[in-house]
Amino acid sequence: MKEFNIVLAGVGGQGTILAAEILGVAAVKDGLNVRVSEIHGMAQRGGAVTSNVRIGKNVSSPTVMEGQADVLLGFEPLETLRSMKFASDKTLVIMSEEKIPPTELAAKNITYPNMKEIIAKIHRFTKDVIIVETEKLANEAGSTLTRNIVLLGGLSATEKVPIKTESVLEALKELVPAKHVEINVKAFKLGYDFVKKKA
Amino acid sequence: MPNLRELLKDEPKKHVLLLGNEAIVRGILETGIGMVTTYPGTPASEIGDTVSEIAKEAGLYMEYSTNEMVAVEVAAGAANVGVRALTAMKHVGLNVAADAVMTLAYVGVKGGYVIVTADDPECYSSQNEQDNRYYALLSNLPCLEPSDPQEAKDMTKTAIEISEKLELPVLLRTTTRVNHTRGPVTFAKLAKPNLKGQLVRDVKRMVMVPAHARLMHAKLLEKVEKAKGISESSPHNIVTRKGKNQMGLISSSSAYNYAVEAVELLGLDVSILKLGMTHPLPEKMIGQFLRVHKQIVIIEELEPYLETQIKAVAKDYAPNVEVFGKTDKQYFSRKGELSTRLVAAGLAEITGKKLPIDFGKIDEAYAEIANELPSRPPILCAGCSHRASFFVIKKVGGEKTNYPTDIGCYALGIAPPLNVGDLLICMGSGVSAAQGISRATGQPTIAIIGDSTFFHAALPGLVNAVYNDAKITLAVLDNSTTAMTGHQPHPGTGFRGMGTPAEKISIEKVAEGCGVKYVKVVNPFQIKEAGAILKEALQHSGPSVVIFRAPCTLLSVREKRRKGIRTLSYKILDKCTNCTACIKLLGCPALIVENGKVLIDEALCTACGLCASVCPYNAIERGSDQE
Repeated sequence: MKEFNIVLAGVGGQGTILAAEILGVAAVKDGLNVRVSEIHGMAQRGGAVTSNVRIGKNVSSPTVMEGQADVLLGFEPLETLRSMKFASDKTLVIMSEEKIPPTELAAKNITYPNMKEIIAKIHRFTKDVIIVETEKLANEAGSTLTRNIVLLGGLSATEKVPIKTESVLEALKELVPAKHVEINVKAFKLGYDFVKKKA
Repeated sequence: MPNLRELLKDEPKKHVLLLGNEAIVRGILETGIGMVTTYPGTPASEIGDTVSEIAKEAGLYMEYSTNEMVAVEVAAGAANVGVRALTAMKHVGLNVAADAVMTLAYVGVKGGYVIVTADDPECYSSQNEQDNRYYALLSNLPCLEPSDPQEAKDMTKTAIEISEKLELPVLLRTTTRVNHTRGPVTFAKLAKPNLKGQLVRDVKRMVMVPAHARLMHAKLLEKVEKAKGISESSPHNIVTRKGKNQMGLISSSSAYNYAVEAVELLGLDVSILKLGMTHPLPEKMIGQFLRVHKQIVIIEELEPYLETQIKAVAKDYAPNVEVFGKTDKQYFSRKGELSTRLVAAGLAEITGKKLPIDFGKIDEAYAEIANELPSRPPILCAGCSHRASFFVIKKVGGEKTNYPTDIGCYALGIAPPLNVGDLLICMGSGVSAAQGISRATGQPTIAIIGDSTFFHAALPGLVNAVYNDAKITLAVLDNSTTAMTGHQPHPGTGFRGMGTPAEKISIEKVAEGCGVKYVKVVNPFQIKEAGAILKEALQHSGPSVVIFRAPCTLLSVREKRRKGIRTLSYKILDKCTNCTACIKLLGCPALIVENGKVLIDEALCTACGLCASVCPYNAIERGSDQE
């Protein structure tokens, strides 16, 4: 297998690091070589964050090069756009439409750009874009905090990632606190079904 | 790691995904290290935090020491009575510990002792990007550099072995991309930690008065010679790739991973010498490698540490070999972190090969959208008590007051609209620098510091202010935790690294004990009262201390959630004129604007109420209880 690169982009506190770790643990379960990298940055919450997951026999660098992402998992629209440097016309973008306005916008009294504008810009790089109603599905699962897991479910549904869906689910069960396993599994399945139906 | 307790399982050959820092902890457990000391600092924090979680069960002792120097001294004591020990810190922590480390190199150790120094190329969360391999040269201590989590674990063990063989502390130098990368790690057998030691008096070796120090310096140099032999035969110094090309690459640490991938990307048929033990360098081995190549490319992050030494080796072994790196022509940058792309670009320039990816085109397409993107820098969280403190400080101090600041979340006070923070150097610098600023400007000066940093580095500065009668006010932004690095305990929190309760050390009493005559504690969210006290403090004739005390909002929200208490978001009333004063004064991320209207993001609002207390129209109100 050639290398497979996933970039996860979001805002601190959205659970990108956990999502990346779940993918990494799942990859090891499948006997794959993997590197997961994360930058913790200076703020506990609110800053732009990206995590990288790289899978493949010869992978040794933990970071994805510009233009080399196979999948871009966007947890927030502006952050998805900010990570387009990792995308090419071969990249699949799976993204949430849930906006977290940067404080700079409020300070300048600017409204958050509308989704159409954002999608149009993403389309300059790739036409392969799936938008997931993360907030709605997470609430349906029982907690808005499971938005990251909804997105993971969506990613598994595309069958593009060389990790078995069962392995991702298994890793998920191991990594979330025991009392929250049920709603997280539900969130995963809702995301999975949402994307399956779209495809 | 799914469950940190998995680290305690004696399951050799088990294959798991570990964060570099967790891998170091597994290395601690496989080596029987009995004492771990640390002061938290990104990217090293998870070493201490993980040990903290499992220390009791593992049967070892751990503590968050008040600072890195204390951490080294505590561990040095244990290592000198025969206990294996490890101290973890971020790169700048080694500056704090340097006084101890430099002479500990003379004294040496009896039990193996490892000092983990986590460098931060690119300054992802640091005030500088110094290259701590030079500390190995400076102190004469051996240095190991892992490139991934597996090596991080294995080298922890190797470091202890070398340390005991030489009776010398060993540096384990990591970088952010090693500490914060997760990769597959294969377990080895666990070893039982030993925490029992015995002092064997040996004054000549252990008491560094001049006569003894002269002797021990000679001894240290003998140890370095022995270390050279270890480096020559170390399995961590190895040719990992053999090529037919006359070019050879030499690399270490994270840079090695980029080198391997860049070589594949360009299709170069070159040999690679990977150096895992980078002090002392295996000169003979390097010499042989230089002899069989015509061109040598040195790929390392930050400073040309390997390059300058290898050039010296070349003079003896292969004077005609051509060396490429970052000293003459800069094929690779001395600043920031490297990447496969940057290494490939450098190699392409050296070899004349063409990069198979047109990065220029990718950059161009990205630049078109990036220019219009609003930035999202790190900011204080919604509900952060520091925001309230800064609002009060700025309101009282205004533009004519100077605000030297310090290391911690509150360094984010420099962001608009708060704009508090005029000088930031290192841990504890604010309180001391304030004294120089105040004397030289004659202007009011408020030094900002956090609670953990107060215990770490403020005390000598504060005593200095009292004794020399400096006219400064020290604002201690006390959120009762070490927030920025992940909420570790400190002497003011009431619990220890191993979870046991402790008597809190009171910041106000410490300040009073240092001789400060004006010491007051305020609640930053009571902005009027806090402002009045701060004003009074500024008028006090000598140094004054005002403690702004309110818990870190992340912790209090977590606590409320655990107890099942719902936090009701504040709401904006119809009488709001959308003047945006709240946003302009506070910059809270929970305050947003949509189509000209100010809104509160309920998901982010922690109900701190600060916006309500600054609203000129009383148009923000606590959400009504509907439960």
